[in-house]
Amino acid sequence: MRKYQNTSDKLIPIVFLLTILILWEAAVNLGVVERYVLPSPTDIIAALIANGSDLMMHAGTTFFEGMTGLLVAVCLSLIMAIVMDLFPVVKKAIYPVLVMSQTVPIIVIAPLLAMWFGFGIAPKIFVVVLVCFFPITVSLIEGLQSVDGELINLVRSMGAKKRQIFTKIKFPSALPYFFSGLKIAATYSIMGAVIGEWLGGKAGLGVYMLRARHAFALDLVFASILVIVVLSIGLFYGIAGIQRVMMPWEKLKEEEE
Amino acid sequence: MPTGPLPMNTCQNKCVLKVLGVTKEYNHKNIIQNINIHLNQGEFVSILGPSGCGKSTLFNVIAGLLPPEDGQVFVNEKEVTGETGKVSYMYQKDLLLPWRNVIDNAILPLEIRGIPKKEARETVKAMLSIFQLADDGKKYPIQLSGGMKQRVSLLRTTMFSQEIMLLDEPFGGLDAITRMKMQAYLLEILNKIKGSVLFITHDIDEAIFLSDRIYIINGSPAQIVSEMVVPIKHASPEEMMTAEALRQLRSDILKCL
Repeated sequence: MRKYQNTSDKLIPIVFLLTILILWEAAVNLGVVERYVLPSPTDIIAALIANGSDLMMHAGTTFFEGMTGLLVAVCLSLIMAIVMDLFPVVKKAIYPVLVMSQTVPIIVIAPLLAMWFGFGIAPKIFVVVLVCFFPITVSLIEGLQSVDGELINLVRSMGAKKRQIFTKIKFPSALPYFFSGLKIAATYSIMGAVIGEWLGGKAGLGVYMLRARHAFALDLVFASILVIVVLSIGLFYGIAGIQRVMMPWEKLKEEEE
Repeated sequence: MPTGPLPMNTCQNKCVLKVLGVTKEYNHKNIIQNINIHLNQGEFVSILGPSGCGKSTLFNVIAGLLPPEDGQVFVNEKEVTGETGKVSYMYQKDLLLPWRNVIDNAILPLEIRGIPKKEARETVKAMLSIFQLADDGKKYPIQLSGGMKQRVSLLRTTMFSQEIMLLDEPFGGLDAITRMKMQAYLLEILNKIKGSVLFITHDIDEAIFLSDRIYIINGSPAQIVSEMVVPIKHASPEEMMTAEALRQLRSDILKCL
C-alpha cells in the first residue's frame, strides 16, 4: 500500500506536466497561438536536436561558470559563517549588510561588473558568487546557532575546547542546514551565470539566447531555457546525492518515518 | 530513628564530592543559596525537589559550567570550583549525536580527552554487553527507542567518568513502564561499575527506590531543607507499598516539600 502510494505520488506531477505539454502542443497546432509567438513543445525539441552541438558548447561554458562560482561561494560562506559564529561582534556588524546587499537587484549590478571586469569569464563568475553566497551563508549560520545549548554544555562539561565543540558538534549539526542552502544556491548558480552572460561575452547560454532572440528564433530561446532548467535540476539532484552520501543517518530517518 | 535528619557535611567513607556553601544568583536574585552536600564513594544520593527550583543550576555549578557567587566545590578533597571536566553529567534529553552510531556516540568523551578514535572504540566495545547494547553498536540513534537512547547516554556518561556521575532527571522523559525498567537497569549497571551518583529527581518514589541518602531541596531561593537516609535500599514493589519505615520516610519527605 505504501509502495503504491509512493509511486502514485511520483506519478502525479508527471501526469500534470504531460497534460500541460499536450494542451500547449494542441493550442499551437490548432492556431490558437501563432507559432512565431509561441513555438510548440515539438518545435522546441526539434530545434534542440538540430542545434545540439552549439547548445552543448554554450551550456558547457555556462556550467563551468556556474560551478566555479558555486565553489567560490561555498568557500566564502564557510569562512564567513565560521568567523561570524566565533565572533558575535562580526555577525552583528556584517549580517544586516548581507541582508541589505541581497535587496539590490542583480540585474542592476551585473552591468557594473562588466564595466569593472570586462567581458571575460570573471564578471559572470562574480554574479554567480553574489547570487549563491547569501543562501549558503544564511543557512549555515542558522544551522550553527540552532545547536542545542544543553548539548554544548554537555561537551563543555567534558572539558571540550572551543575548536572541538565546533568540529565535533556544531559543524556536523549544521550540515543539514548547509545542504538546504546549497541546494537553493545550486539552482540559482546557472541562472546567475546566464544573467552575467546576457550583458555580453563570447560564449554561454545567455549569449546564445540573446543571439537567438535577435534572430527571432523563439524555438531556440525555448530550447536554451530547457537546457538551463535541465542543468539546474541536475545540479540540485547532484547535491542532494552528495548530501545522502555524506549524511547516511538522514536516509534512516526517512525509512523510520 | 532511622529516617531522622542527620548532621550535615558528615563524610564517613571516602568523600568524593563536597559542595560547601554554594550560592548562585541569576539577575541579582539568588536561585540557590548556601547549599552544602556531599557524596561518598559508591554512594547513590538523590536531590529531591519540585521542578524548576534550581536543582539543575546546582548541577551546572558542580560541573563547572557556571561559576558560583559564593561557595566551593571539592572533588577528592581538591577544590575544583568553576572547573569543567571533573565529573560526568547526564541530562534528561539523551543528547545523542544523530550522525554518529552508538559506539561513536559513546566515544565522544574519550575523543575530547584526546584518545585516538580506534582505541576509544575498543574501550567502548568492551562495555557494550554490560550496558545490554551488545548488538546495537552500529545502530544510529534514530533507530533506537527512548529507553535505549538513555542507555547509550548513560554509557557515554560512564565513559567520561564513573567516579562521580551527575544524573539530571535522566528518566524524566520516559513513560512510567520504561522508567521502572531503566531504574532497575541503572542499579544493575552501578553494581557492576561501582560509581558514585548524584541524582536529581522530583519523583519521591524514584528517589526512595534508588538512593542511599536523599537531600530535600525547596524554597526560593532553594536551600537544602533536610537530609534523610533510606532505611530499606532498593525496596521491592511490595515493600515500597507496605513497609512501615518507608511509609514514614515518605510522609517526612512530603512534610518538607
